[in-house]
Amino acid sequence: MATTIEDPLRTGAARGRSERAARAGVGPLERQRRRVFWPFAAPALLVYAVLFVAPVGYALWTSLHRWDGMGGMDWRGLQNYTLLFRDPRFRTSLFNTLELMVVGGTITFVLSFALTLVLREMRARLFARSVLFFPSLVNGMVFGIAAGFLFSPTGPVNRALELFGVTTPPKWLATDNLLPMVLGTLVWTATGYYTSIIMAAVDQIPDHLYEAAELDGAGPFQRFRHVTLPCAWDVIAVCAVLWTVSSVKIFELILLYGGSTNAYPPVSSWNTAVYVYTEAFPQGTVPRLGTATAAAIVSLAMVTLITVVLRRLLRREPIEY
Amino acid sequence: MRRTNRPTGLASRIGTAAVWTVVAADLLLVLWILLTSLRSGPDILRHGFGLPTSPQTSNYTTALDEGGFARAALNSVLTAGLSSVVAVSLAAPCAYALARRRSRTASALTTAFAMGLGVPGQVLVVPLFVGLSRVGLTDSDLGLGLVYVGLAMPFTVFLLTGFFRGIPGVLEEAAVLDGAGPLRTFVLVVLPVARGGLVTAFLLQFVTAWNETLFALVLTNSQGTVTLPVALSSFVAAQQFNGLDFGTMFAGVCIILAPMIALFSWMGSRIIQGMTVGIGK
Repeated sequence: MATTIEDPLRTGAARGRSERAARAGVGPLERQRRRVFWPFAAPALLVYAVLFVAPVGYALWTSLHRWDGMGGMDWRGLQNYTLLFRDPRFRTSLFNTLELMVVGGTITFVLSFALTLVLREMRARLFARSVLFFPSLVNGMVFGIAAGFLFSPTGPVNRALELFGVTTPPKWLATDNLLPMVLGTLVWTATGYYTSIIMAAVDQIPDHLYEAAELDGAGPFQRFRHVTLPCAWDVIAVCAVLWTVSSVKIFELILLYGGSTNAYPPVSSWNTAVYVYTEAFPQGTVPRLGTATAAAIVSLAMVTLITVVLRRLLRREPIEY
Repeated sequence: MRRTNRPTGLASRIGTAAVWTVVAADLLLVLWILLTSLRSGPDILRHGFGLPTSPQTSNYTTALDEGGFARAALNSVLTAGLSSVVAVSLAAPCAYALARRRSRTASALTTAFAMGLGVPGQVLVVPLFVGLSRVGLTDSDLGLGLVYVGLAMPFTVFLLTGFFRGIPGVLEEAAVLDGAGPLRTFVLVVLPVARGGLVTAFLLQFVTAWNETLFALVLTNSQGTVTLPVALSSFVAAQQFNGLDFGTMFAGVCIILAPMIALFSWMGSRIIQGMTVGIGK
C-alpha cells in the first residue's frame, strides 16, 4: 500500500526538478506505457466518440426542434418537452417505466436475496444457478410469444386451471393486464441474473465469518443480515444501478408481448423505449423526431438522476476481508 | 438448540423446493418450446402440451424458406460475430492502456466510458438512423454492425479494463527489460495471458448483438439484411393475415434460441462469470 501512495509523489517531485531525473524516476516500462497510451486508446475512443457520444449530443439538439427527418429543422426550444408531458401516451409510458423499475426492482431484489439465502446451502447449486441464469440470454420476444400462446383464452394455462375447477380464469392478455404480465415475466427472467451476480459476490465471503456467526448463535436470517449483506454490499449497490439502467432499456419484451395483433402493443403497456420507437418510426404517419428524442432525453435524465441518488444512498465504507 | 433449528430447517426446505420448482419451470419451458416446434399447427392448438406424435421437421423448412429465417440466421451470425470481433479488438488495447496508465486523463477516460453504460439505446436510435441514412448505410448489415461496435464500447472497455488490472505487471516488466517494444509486449505477452477475458468479452458481446432488437428493427428491413429478431417479429406480425401457425412460429423461436442454448451449455460458466464478476469490479 505504502509504495503505491509514495510513488506518484516521488515522480511528481522529480518531474519538477528536471526532465532527465523524471525519466530516470519512472523507468522504461512506465515510459513505454506513456508513449503507447494514445495510439492504443485512440481507435476505441474515436469509435466511442463518433458512434456514441456524438449521437447523444445530436439527440439533445434534435429534441429542441420540430423535425420529420426529411425537411428542415424548425427551432422549438423546450416546447417539445412541454408537449411531451401534455401527451397522455407519454405520461402513461413514463409511469409504466417507473413502475417496471421500482415495483419490478423491489420484487426482483427481494426474490434474489431469498434465492441467494437458499442457494448458499443447497446441493447442486451451480446447476440450479445456471438454469436460473439462462433466461437472461433469451430474446424478450420469445417470452412474449410463449406467453401469447400459454395464456390465450383457450390456451394451456386456462385448460390446466379448468382441471382445478377455475371456470372463469383472469383475462391474462387483456389490455389492462399486459403490464402486470410483462412485469411478472421481467421479474422471472431478471431474478436469475441478479441472483447469479449476488451469489458470485457471496462466494467470495470467507467461510469462517459464517462459522463465527453460527457459533454466536445467528440463524440463517441473522447470518444474511450481519454477514452476507454487509460483505456483498458493494456488488448489491452496483446491481441496483444496473437494474435502473436495464429496466429503462426494456423494449422487445413489451413490443411483442402476447403476440399482439396490431402493429404496436396497446398504449397501456408502453414504456418510454416503445414511445420513442413509435414516435420516430410510425407506420403511416409522419415521424416526429423532435418529441421522440425529447422523450429519449427525458429517460436519459431520469436514469442519470436515479443512478446518482442511488449511488449516494448506497455508498458505504468498503469492508475488507 | 435443536428446537430453534427446526423452523429454519423447514423454511430452508420450502425455499429449496421453491428454487427447484422455478428451475424445473425454466427447463420445462425450453423443452416445451423445442417439442412444440416439431409438431403440426392444428395438433398444437388441440393440445397445448404434448409430445410430437410423429416428429416433423416441416416447421423448420417452412420457417427457413418462407419465413426467411435461413437468410436472417446468416445475417445474424455475420453481424453479431464480426461486430463482436471488431469491438473486442478495438476495446482491448484501449482497456489495456487505461488499466496500466495511472494519469488523470486515463481515469477521466475510464469514467467517460463507464458513463456510456447508463445511456439507454432509445437515446441513440434516432441520431444513428439519421446519421447512417446520410451515408447510405440504412437497411444494411454493415451499418447495423457499426452501430453494434459503437454500442459495445462502454461495456467491453469497462469489462476489459477491470480484467487487465487483475493481470500482474511483472511479465511486461520482464518483456520490456528484454527489449521488446510496446506492441510486441502487448501482442506476445499480454494478450495470451488475457485470452480468457477476451473470450468472455466476445461472448457477452455476441449474446447482446444476437438478441438486439430495437436497432435491428430500425436499421434493417429488406429480406437480404434482416437479422433473426426482425424476421421473428415480422413473422409474428404476418400471422394476423395468414392465420396462426404456431408450429412455424416456435420453429423460428428455436432458431433464435438454439445458439444461445448451445453457447450456454458449452461456455456457460464463462458467460456467468463474465456477467457477474466483471460487473462486480
